[in-house]
Amino acid sequence: MKALKCRECGREYPLEATHVCEFDFGPLEVAYDYDRIKKSLTRAAIEARPKTMWRYRELLPIAGEPTVGPLVGYTPLVKADRLAKALGIRELYVKNDAVNYPTLSFKDRVVSVALSRAKELGFETVACASTGNLANSVAANAASAGLKSYVFIPSDLEQGKILNSLIYGSNVIGIKGHYDEVNRLCAEIAGKFGWAFVNVNMRPYYAEGSKSMAYEIAEQLGWRLPDHTIVPMASGSLLTKIHKGYQEFTKLGLVAQHNTHIHGAQATGCSPISVAQKAGLDFFKPVKPDTIAKSLAIGTPADGFYALKVMRETNAAADDVTDDEIRDAIKLLAETEGIFAETAGGVTVGVAKKLIASGKIPKDSSAVICVTGNGLKTLDAVNGYCGKAKEIKPSLREFEALLAHEEKVNA
Amino acid sequence: MPTKKKVSITKPNSPVQQRLWLMYPPKLIKQPFIWEVGHKFKVTTNIRQASVTDEIGIVCLELAGPRSEVARAIKWLEKNKVNVEPVEIGVIAG
Repeated sequence: MKALKCRECGREYPLEATHVCEFDFGPLEVAYDYDRIKKSLTRAAIEARPKTMWRYRELLPIAGEPTVGPLVGYTPLVKADRLAKALGIRELYVKNDAVNYPTLSFKDRVVSVALSRAKELGFETVACASTGNLANSVAANAASAGLKSYVFIPSDLEQGKILNSLIYGSNVIGIKGHYDEVNRLCAEIAGKFGWAFVNVNMRPYYAEGSKSMAYEIAEQLGWRLPDHTIVPMASGSLLTKIHKGYQEFTKLGLVAQHNTHIHGAQATGCSPISVAQKAGLDFFKPVKPDTIAKSLAIGTPADGFYALKVMRETNAAADDVTDDEIRDAIKLLAETEGIFAETAGGVTVGVAKKLIASGKIPKDSSAVICVTGNGLKTLDAVNGYCGKAKEIKPSLREFEALLAHEEKVNA
Repeated sequence: MPTKKKVSITKPNSPVQQRLWLMYPPKLIKQPFIWEVGHKFKVTTNIRQASVTDEIGIVCLELAGPRSEVARAIKWLEKNKVNVEPVEIGVIAG
């Protein structure tokens, strides 16, 4: 790490818990000394390390060894031949963060980086505002690191999701009010108390954790970049960091220069970035979310502007899918590859299907679909859409009769 | 370094500074909202960034003043259909 740098004006700041430029309020990002990193970070050095995301630690924003989430990452890159056949593409992979450790979502990557850095900076209390995966990950990782945690949620959140954070002993605070009010209050709380708020004052470090997904994709493909990557967009941050990860690997000579395209996926019920991309705009208009893909339901995406820029620069597309298309895509992924993704995964697979069908992703190319969370977290979204179990009496004759009936129906 | 503070209850007239993004729909772009906010409420307005096109007006604004006045100013802007977000925008994540 070299410094924190404003994305707008380029001013540099010390590596502290701060996130906006004091001059133009632009977001700060971690800058690295790539010439120095290039000397030690080789393919052989990486391959000799344990299979976690920390094998790329020179490119992650911590000063010493990781102290939170030492086992996070290096999730499977599944060669998805059956899904490829269903979508009509030559070479397809699923980067499966539905089995990330410990809380079954890609958020474990960003949270373990943010909390490791928070410990280095001397924080004892960590916090976040979240409606799901981020809250679970902060609560779990803080518990295992012996940190005190506060999780802020809208008070009308489903009981199951609250339980997923309470179980780790986190202080869960439900806030009554509209989303906008809750959002502003959390920004104020983050500013007032001396805590490490993972996606506010720790945001520059937190967001960098996403790059590890890109590094793993490149290494697992045999040290090369795919032609296409399809990424779900909530704030748009993951898409920009996948791009940064690919660029860094290219700059360091770990992969060959490749004309790679990074496409964005949203739900139609919350698609400010995808709508702007399709209209050729370089800004988005805020929307009120209404979709089953709750983990992507951000109506005013913080990195929307930068995600649009990356899609323009990589000559990529964006699209969105309806709630029914999301459910169909979740089923398709489960039935072809045995992977049960949460709604955000349905969004990504559904959009991949659309982009391949429209020719925006050519059939004779290679693509990676990023699945960021586990289907067990959003069971309600598919409940009642997967058929029912067939019931019989404990009798062999009844079972045979059932099979005979099904053979007749399917004949 | 983080500091350990004793929690004190914030009073309505405690001075605050809030950093906000304002987003105007096209039909409101000609309205002098920032001038009006400065006159209607006891707040200081400080523009740090702005971008105005035919499609949208985006202003990055620092609002300073007594807590209750800043809160009233934000409510008034929202009543006038201006989208007001903290400078961090997406504090609540999925």
